[in-house]
Amino acid sequence: MRLPRIFGKKRGHRRSGSQAWGSFGDGLFHAVLLATGLVFGGLLVSGVAVPEWRMNHDFVGTRSTVLGKGLVRRTVEDPPGSFSTTWQPCLRVRYDTGGVLREQWTRPSTSAITSDRSAAIRGLSAWSVGEEVPAWYDPATPNVVVLERGYNWWMWLLALLLPGALLAFGGKGLVRAIRQWGKSEEFRAAAGSLTDFLDPLAAPVGAADLPGVPACDDMINSPGTILRYRLPIESPEKWTLLGLGLFALAWNAIVAVLAIGAGVDLLGGRTDWLLFVLLVPFLTVGIGAVVYFVRMLIFATAVGTTQLEISDLPLQPGGRYDVLLAQGGAGTFRSLELRLELEEQATFRQGTDTRSERLVVWHSPVEAWRGVQLSPGTRFEARSAISIPAAAMHSFAAEHNGVRWRLAVRGTPVRWPAFERVFPLVVVPATAGARARQGVPSGPEASP
Amino acid sequence: MSGGFDAPRTAPRVVLQFDRYDRRYLPGQALAVQYEVAGVGDDTIRAVEHSVLWYTEGKGEEDLAIHYFERVTDRSRLQPAVRVSGFATHLPASPLSYEGVIVKIRWCVRVRIFFQTAKDFVSEHVFELGVVPPARMPAPSAS
Repeated sequence: MRLPRIFGKKRGHRRSGSQAWGSFGDGLFHAVLLATGLVFGGLLVSGVAVPEWRMNHDFVGTRSTVLGKGLVRRTVEDPPGSFSTTWQPCLRVRYDTGGVLREQWTRPSTSAITSDRSAAIRGLSAWSVGEEVPAWYDPATPNVVVLERGYNWWMWLLALLLPGALLAFGGKGLVRAIRQWGKSEEFRAAAGSLTDFLDPLAAPVGAADLPGVPACDDMINSPGTILRYRLPIESPEKWTLLGLGLFALAWNAIVAVLAIGAGVDLLGGRTDWLLFVLLVPFLTVGIGAVVYFVRMLIFATAVGTTQLEISDLPLQPGGRYDVLLAQGGAGTFRSLELRLELEEQATFRQGTDTRSERLVVWHSPVEAWRGVQLSPGTRFEARSAISIPAAAMHSFAAEHNGVRWRLAVRGTPVRWPAFERVFPLVVVPATAGARARQGVPSGPEASP
Repeated sequence: MSGGFDAPRTAPRVVLQFDRYDRRYLPGQALAVQYEVAGVGDDTIRAVEHSVLWYTEGKGEEDLAIHYFERVTDRSRLQPAVRVSGFATHLPASPLSYEGVIVKIRWCVRVRIFFQTAKDFVSEHVFELGVVPPARMPAPSAS
């Protein structure tokens, strides 16, 4: 009998792993999670849930008399050489178990365990010696008696949450691994409806009747002022700005805490040199982050907004469409350029990282303007036309790969660094009628 | 034609014929194939799967989607299906075959034979859907 190879075939830039070993490892991993959830859940059910349930349902009610009060002391050595002590109130009670009088120490369940001995003594003041209080004893073990009943909902929540998550995650993964075991790649892809149902965000949303073509519903919900649609802008720099702002905030909060600690020490007459040495690089990074954030914020707001409108969507190969570029802001632009681009996008794993690579494989200049003078309150507007090549590849979006059409606006302001703003487009495959009208070539020619 | 790593020593062959000799189809066109399996030897066939699918090649992780799939396990159909069989389907409007720089889209017919010994053999036959010229890296522009 031969074992499956660890590595399978080489495809493109990457070598695919063995499906059999991959499925086995996936199943084993989820089986371990499921087993851990079962063991952990079993321990919590038997150790927490069942005793509490029995206490509230099986224990027999009786009257008890408080005979004495005391504290339970627990001393723990952790870490080695360091001892900590906790205190918990407890009561000596006498109670009747069906005609038999018993005496037992018991801990009131609401009495908190504390490291403060005086607080524990104060907790005992709720009971008086000689007082008669209700009690419940275990009919199976009459020596076990409690003075209060009820559920600790926090404990139940914790007891259910972690094992529940392990059971759900491990169980789902194991069922998936079992369902896929021994199945071909094609069978799994054909039966992918369950996976799609469980993880609907894994695959991009596509256009109806056009598999692999992204939908453009969110592109046609914004009407233009002159042309039919206003294109949405793709602005990863906004997220970068937000991330940088959050980083600057969090970092400087840490610096503030350190600085306050150092200041308090200084006022108290102590000087912690290590803290001061640490504070210098932290402060430098904090100031740098704020400066960089403010610079990016000013740049993002100072250049002015860019808007693009288009006469129709989605686009068809061989089609010609009007576009309107509008640039707001103030000052002079050395150049403003509009380009039609085709970009390929691939997402792949490198070790434990997931990386994306983008590459513009075709571009066509639409129009360029020089020495554009902008004044506040008005905007620069220019109308142009774009043509999608008749044999062009349509837009394509899958989970890890994509082919994207886009309009890119590149500007070079006099006082600010150059910028690029991208407006995605959707090109659908040409219809049969359009292909016939345009006489699509039957063989390869110039790209795209 | 390609064999899986679990292919038996007798190395079966799948001879597959498309109804268009140039293997080029337009979106929405019918695709019909006939295939014949040879070299099975004494191995008993448990099931046969034939499918029409696209997958991606290139720098990214593989994406794959099935357009047509049939698994034959019925014993009465199995033996004739293995020796000479065929199927037909209408191709979808997209995605079109594409020879990009870091993304490629391939359409193919796969015939996968499962043997009683838990081994399988897969044969893949690529065809083209649509006519999209290959992409090339654009020359760096001055702008």
